[in-house]
Amino acid sequence: MLRILLNTVLRSLYRQKAYSLMNILGLATGVTCTLLILIWVEYETGFDKFHEDIDQVYSVYESQNYADGDVFSVYSTPAPLAESIKRTFPEIKYSTRMVTTWGQLILSADGKSFVEDGGKIVDADFFQIFTFPIVEGEKENPFKEENSIVLTEKLAQKLFGELDPIGRKIEINSKFDYVVSAVIQNPPANSSITFDFILPFQFFGKLWAYDLNDWEANTFHTFIKVEEGVDSDDLAAQLQTYIKDRIKNSNVDLDLQAFVKYHLYAINTNKVGSIWYVRVFLLVAVLILLIACFNYMNLATARSERRAKEVAVRKVVGAQRKGLIGLFLGESIFFTLISLGIAVVLVELLLPVFSDLTDRDLSLGINNIKFLFSVSGIVLLTGIVSGSYPALFLSSFLPIHVIKGVSRKDSALLRKVLVVIQFSMSISLFICSGIIYQQLKFLRESDVGYNKNDLIYIEMADDFNSIYPKLKNELIKIQGVYWVTAANQMPVNFTNSTWDVDWPGKIKDSEDILFQLSFVDYDFIETFEMNVIQGRGFSKLHGGDSLKFIINESAAEKMNMVHTIGEPLQIWDYSGEVIGIVKDFNFNSLQVGVEPLIMMRNPAAFKYIGIRIGEDVEPILNKIRTVWDSTVPDIPFTYRFLEEDFKYFYTAESRMSKIFISFTIIAFIISCLGLFGLVSFVTERKSREMALRKVFGANMDTVFQLLLKEFFKWVMLSNFIAWVLSFFVMEWWLKGFAYRIDIGIGIFILSGFVSLLITFLTVYQQIWKLALKTPVRVLKYE
Amino acid sequence: MINTKNLIKVFRTDEVETTALNNVNLEINKGEFVAIMGPSGCGKSTLLNIIGLLDNPSEGELHFNGYQVENYTERQRTNLRKENIGFVFQSFNLIDELTVFENVELPLLYMKVSGAERKRRVNEALERMNIAHRAKHFPQQLSGGQQQRVAIARAVISNPKLILADEPTGNLDSANGEEVMNLLTQLNEEGTTIIMVTHSPSDADRSHRIIQLFDGHIVTENMRQKL
Ligand SMILES: Nc1ncnc2c1ncn2[C@@H]1O[C@H](COP(=O)(O)OP(=O)(O)OP(=O)(O)O)[C@@H](O)[C@H]1O
Ligand SMILES: [Mg+2]
Repeated sequence: MLRILLNTVLRSLYRQKAYSLMNILGLATGVTCTLLILIWVEYETGFDKFHEDIDQVYSVYESQNYADGDVFSVYSTPAPLAESIKRTFPEIKYSTRMVTTWGQLILSADGKSFVEDGGKIVDADFFQIFTFPIVEGEKENPFKEENSIVLTEKLAQKLFGELDPIGRKIEINSKFDYVVSAVIQNPPANSSITFDFILPFQFFGKLWAYDLNDWEANTFHTFIKVEEGVDSDDLAAQLQTYIKDRIKNSNVDLDLQAFVKYHLYAINTNKVGSIWYVRVFLLVAVLILLIACFNYMNLATARSERRAKEVAVRKVVGAQRKGLIGLFLGESIFFTLISLGIAVVLVELLLPVFSDLTDRDLSLGINNIKFLFSVSGIVLLTGIVSGSYPALFLSSFLPIHVIKGVSRKDSALLRKVLVVIQFSMSISLFICSGIIYQQLKFLRESDVGYNKNDLIYIEMADDFNSIYPKLKNELIKIQGVYWVTAANQMPVNFTNSTWDVDWPGKIKDSEDILFQLSFVDYDFIETFEMNVIQGRGFSKLHGGDSLKFIINESAAEKMNMVHTIGEPLQIWDYSGEVIGIVKDFNFNSLQVGVEPLIMMRNPAAFKYIGIRIGEDVEPILNKIRTVWDSTVPDIPFTYRFLEEDFKYFYTAESRMSKIFISFTIIAFIISCLGLFGLVSFVTERKSREMALRKVFGANMDTVFQLLLKEFFKWVMLSNFIAWVLSFFVMEWWLKGFAYRIDIGIGIFILSGFVSLLITFLTVYQQIWKLALKTPVRVLKYE
Repeated sequence: MINTKNLIKVFRTDEVETTALNNVNLEINKGEFVAIMGPSGCGKSTLLNIIGLLDNPSEGELHFNGYQVENYTERQRTNLRKENIGFVFQSFNLIDELTVFENVELPLLYMKVSGAERKRRVNEALERMNIAHRAKHFPQQLSGGQQQRVAIARAVISNPKLILADEPTGNLDSANGEEVMNLLTQLNEEGTTIIMVTHSPSDADRSHRIIQLFDGHIVTENMRQKL
């Protein structure tokens, strides 16, 4: 019995090769995509979970409330906070500050120097809170000695090669001597905290003159690990009042965020958290799986319709209904199992490519077992549902109906509904990916308010002001170097801000507004080719220009300044006057709007040299290098193009959109398979009618038109549904951008056109195939 | 063997009500060869399908081997069918995905017959129908006559007591039709009861008795002289 059963299955598979193949491959492709996405989602949601007791670890973050209703959340907290709250609250077992080594440090060992920028400066508790495994050296407390440095395996290898690094000396910036106390495993790819080396917190005080007792400044990450079972909401509420006691009249709230959320739920409102992508892709995964499953059901039920006769004959000769149900279910499940098998193989094959695409180290492992199970579950369900149709529907026929060929009530309506849903989903995906593409292109290409091309910048490690004036003098002499300036930050990522600003007419406190603050040198405006609306930029020709301010349009607007030039302005204790207004330019990703900005000249804060160069890049760079090497021989020349940084803003977006678009295309192909299957099924059912028409001399045109009209109707319906759906989804998505496109009608028309074209071609191809057949073949086999 | 009392079959579609059978009373005995004749649309197939338990009567009684069966459940009908009745259709109704051998084997699969036994019986039936050399072919590779012989092989494989044949020669040329009729006659001579619907008077000549249907009524039953 089983042999015969298997024979029937395989033969019907073989006899309807194209059909079966489309059916199985369509499902396999969909499942593959879904699995790939889910593996990625699993990876993203699994960030940082390798630390022990990670659910007891929290970031302390600040929310600053502003008069204009803005709430600005940052992980930056005051320096004394970590130690102070640990002492006050017994629930807090460990606490640490963490700050990245701002900029580059020069690490020298064994007479070799390396410029490194991947350092973290932390308190000793860091190693209790985060359990990055220490592989060599002091395991309990690597910072027992004040001059300890911890290296990753990677950096240890780079600095010392095969030598045992423990106890070796490292000189930092030719000034500070440190001794390697431990070697730590390289942080895994799914760690939010990454570093090449770790320094004890005292180092921070050595490098920068910073008042570490100041509660009003906020610079450091604070992480805490609480006792088991501590309610974080309670603790957060207590921190709330605690900070109010420390900072008078503060607009700052403290709050806790579970560290496991650090990766996906970035609290910094300037960034779209990765959770957005996770959600979108989860949705895409579900949609693709649904499309694939619907498609499978569609084709499978269409296929089974052709087996009504088989069912009837089996019943006439004695098959019971139960047996038939088993037969169809078994067959359908068998097919879906094949698809699943193919999908798993495909996933294994495609994972390396997909890892590249997502820039993640993905693998199909134990973590994914539950996904594998749930997807398998859904696929099996698909098998059961698509098997139940013939199993229950066909087997319920009295054999008489089929044999007489009378009431072949079929599931045409069900199938059409399935196709419409499937098509609506894939057309929606098509439209969405089109709009996402347009928006990202718009962001990439839109005017940022300054000229970001042909602009390089150099990040200085230390000793800025002893080098910069000399260097600038030499650089400006080079042919092809137009402007040289300095600043504490480049406009790709402004991070300094303050609300301690006073201007005439300000209503005290109630108009506390967060201003971005930037320290820039002479010729900054000129170097970046920004537009001055009123006044001028900083210039040597006007003397020191200290206590002079340049503000942007938004700032002028916020402050309600009428006669801007010459207006007095006070930041902290600095009182001065406004000398110019620049047209708004973007100093962050375009996802964020332009915020009010104040620029002042403060050479003590400078860290970057910006250079506007000519178009003939290579030779100019060589000349700059020569100048650099003769002026600062002991520091290697490193530079970056501003434009590349700019692209970096959108790498996540453009990577995600690439993936999104690829999946959309796949979903679309699966849907086309579905359409193809349906069309061929319908034409096949009409083949007898058409053969007869041909016998009697009719041409195919009328039949063609009839079919086409029928399908166009359903495809257009799908289009309408998709249009409405994707319009609202995309409007919602675009709301997250300060600069956004308006959704145009073009993509909708395109989607309609493409789907109708595909329908047309499919119907045409099928009719053509049929027209080529001699009527005898068709009639004989009916 | 078969006994009907006031059989009525009404087909209802949205607009029309067709009375396909109207008070049909019929008795068919074991070993008989009965031909049902009548103009197209008079209810022949309907009657045959009801006798074969493929369809339900609207009213009236149907007795099969002394059991009253018109209210049987689907399961009971199937069981009764597979043990007692073989079918031969005008359009053969072979399963395209199965070989000749497997098509004939099919009824045995639903009767729990051992593999070796099945093989023996199928080969025997195929030889008897003179189609054994085509055992591995698929139905579409055969001529109409050959297909009908396969269908008869399938109908007799379970040694049914009754064979119902609806225009078994309808799609065949006279030579092939003749052969099929010979087979049926032979089966009848071996003791199988046969009820056959036909339009062909010469085919009907092979039977013992001709039932004339007109508009759902039995008009005449002429006993033919046994040859
Ligand atoms: N499923 C059905 N629905 C409605 N009417 C039906 C149905 N089946 C049969 N009929 C009607 O019942 C009547 C008898 O049909 P039946 O098939 O028994 O005729 P027949 O004697 O076998 O004719 P033929 O010699 O052409 O095969 C016809 O009028 C037919 O239209
Ligand atoms: Mg008939």
